[in-house]
Amino acid sequence: MSSDILILAMLDGISYAGLLFLVALGLTFIFGVVKILNVAHGSLYAFGGYGAASLGLWWGQGSDSALVSVALLISGAIAMGVVLGTVLMLLLKKFQDRDPILQLLVTFGAFMIFEDLQRMIWGTQPYFVADVVNQLGTSELMGVVYMNYQLLFVPGAALAVYFLLKWFLNSTLAGRQIVAVTHDREVATALGINARRIGYLTFVVGAVLGSLGGALASPTTSLVPGIGADMIVLSFAVVASAGLGQITGALITALLIGLSRSFCVYLAPEFEVVMPYLIMVLVLLIRPQGLFTVVQARKI
Amino acid sequence: MNNDILLQLDHVSVDIVRAPILRRVHAELRSGHIIAVVGRNGAGKTTLLRTIMGLVKLKEGQILFEGRDLLRVAAHSRARLGIGYAPQERVMFPTLSIEENLRLPCQVAGMSKAQVDERLEMTLDVVAQLKPMLGRSGAALSGGQGKMAALGRALMIGSKLILLDEPFQGLAPALATEYSNALKNLQLRMPDLCIVVTESNGSLLKDVPDHVLHIERGELSAVTRFATAVGPDTPSYLPLEAHS
Repeated sequence: MSSDILILAMLDGISYAGLLFLVALGLTFIFGVVKILNVAHGSLYAFGGYGAASLGLWWGQGSDSALVSVALLISGAIAMGVVLGTVLMLLLKKFQDRDPILQLLVTFGAFMIFEDLQRMIWGTQPYFVADVVNQLGTSELMGVVYMNYQLLFVPGAALAVYFLLKWFLNSTLAGRQIVAVTHDREVATALGINARRIGYLTFVVGAVLGSLGGALASPTTSLVPGIGADMIVLSFAVVASAGLGQITGALITALLIGLSRSFCVYLAPEFEVVMPYLIMVLVLLIRPQGLFTVVQARKI
Repeated sequence: MNNDILLQLDHVSVDIVRAPILRRVHAELRSGHIIAVVGRNGAGKTTLLRTIMGLVKLKEGQILFEGRDLLRVAAHSRARLGIGYAPQERVMFPTLSIEENLRLPCQVAGMSKAQVDERLEMTLDVVAQLKPMLGRSGAALSGGQGKMAALGRALMIGSKLILLDEPFQGLAPALATEYSNALKNLQLRMPDLCIVVTESNGSLLKDVPDHVLHIERGELSAVTRFATAVGPDTPSYLPLEAHS
């Protein structure tokens, strides 16, 4: 095995892990507060990607500025996340205090509807808007030429989100209220925290993270129907292996799954698809509560 | 001592999963008193406190706080009225320090930094044991320390009424004495504060409460064991009335 391939696999893996982490983070974050596994999170990824690509097509054409492209990516993601997050939250509000399984089914139904909506709006033709990748140029790393977008931007964005979220949760009043509601909704309420409003805030933040993942993936992936489903399953593998509600755990597990997947692509491509699930199954066999969770009573 | 009725429960009934937990509870709690609610496990002590905090739905009845219908106040808005609650399981948020835990309810209520500092100073004055713990993580407390911290947090926001759910449960005797002293100290410092303490073993409370209420199978009845606490010359009123 040449060292080039090793480095390529590593860089691919890190870049992919960055995307995976963003999506999984949104999923796990929502679960922590609302205690709902949001299956429609995959739609957020897809809509984030399409939204960012559409913005790029409308306003980004003819502009050479990487800054404009990046700003379009991020604003597309935030807009999609806020809109879809709000729609989902309003939908789930109708089913609050009901069986968690029912809520899970509601998000699944929403996922199917969003999937069709996505075909209706963007059709089934692949979308591909890669201006930003060219604008950011390439770098050479130990003899391997790699795109700066995947080498620096995506992992950088993932790390920035990770630290920003950590800071937000530990140091701002809104963040501390989220922590309080995640830990114990009833006690938080008794202390004066409006758990419903905090739940909405969390849901929207989580939704924006999912759609940001999609937006950042869009320049290097062609957008086709079904990408949402692929991503939700993969990010679920990350979240389940890390343990629901674990932020740092999600980062490490995303890296683990991202890297092992990309090494598979180069070394044993026939195992690529099965690799993330193999990891998940192994983890869950040994630690059913996930790698980073302390054992507690099950909800579902 | 201010003897106004602070909290009044009228025929309060609560069902949890269709099983009656509280049955037509009636009680009048006055400012400045320490009231013990004594009853066996499962008698409804915790549910009584959760009902006052708005964490469970009433089947019937009325709750008045300072004459105002508490049922019209959302659960999360009740702390702001000056009601502090220390749940049975010490629930300090583990990723925040003790000081951050203590400040949180006041910050959520929108108090200014100066106001929060003032409350914190008052709280540390009464529960001096908290001082060395302030910087520690909420996850790094022993059972007894957790009880103290929960008392402190209830005090931060509870300027009129604090509800302490089984605070003596699992406390070592020395700590239990410290805790009782803190409660008595508190009564001296804040003569208008109404303190409700639940307990399954009434003897643990010693002479701390001014009044003892017994709760059994969701029914509340008054026992005036410590008549001296009220004062021998004031027998004309019964500060706590309970009937079912």
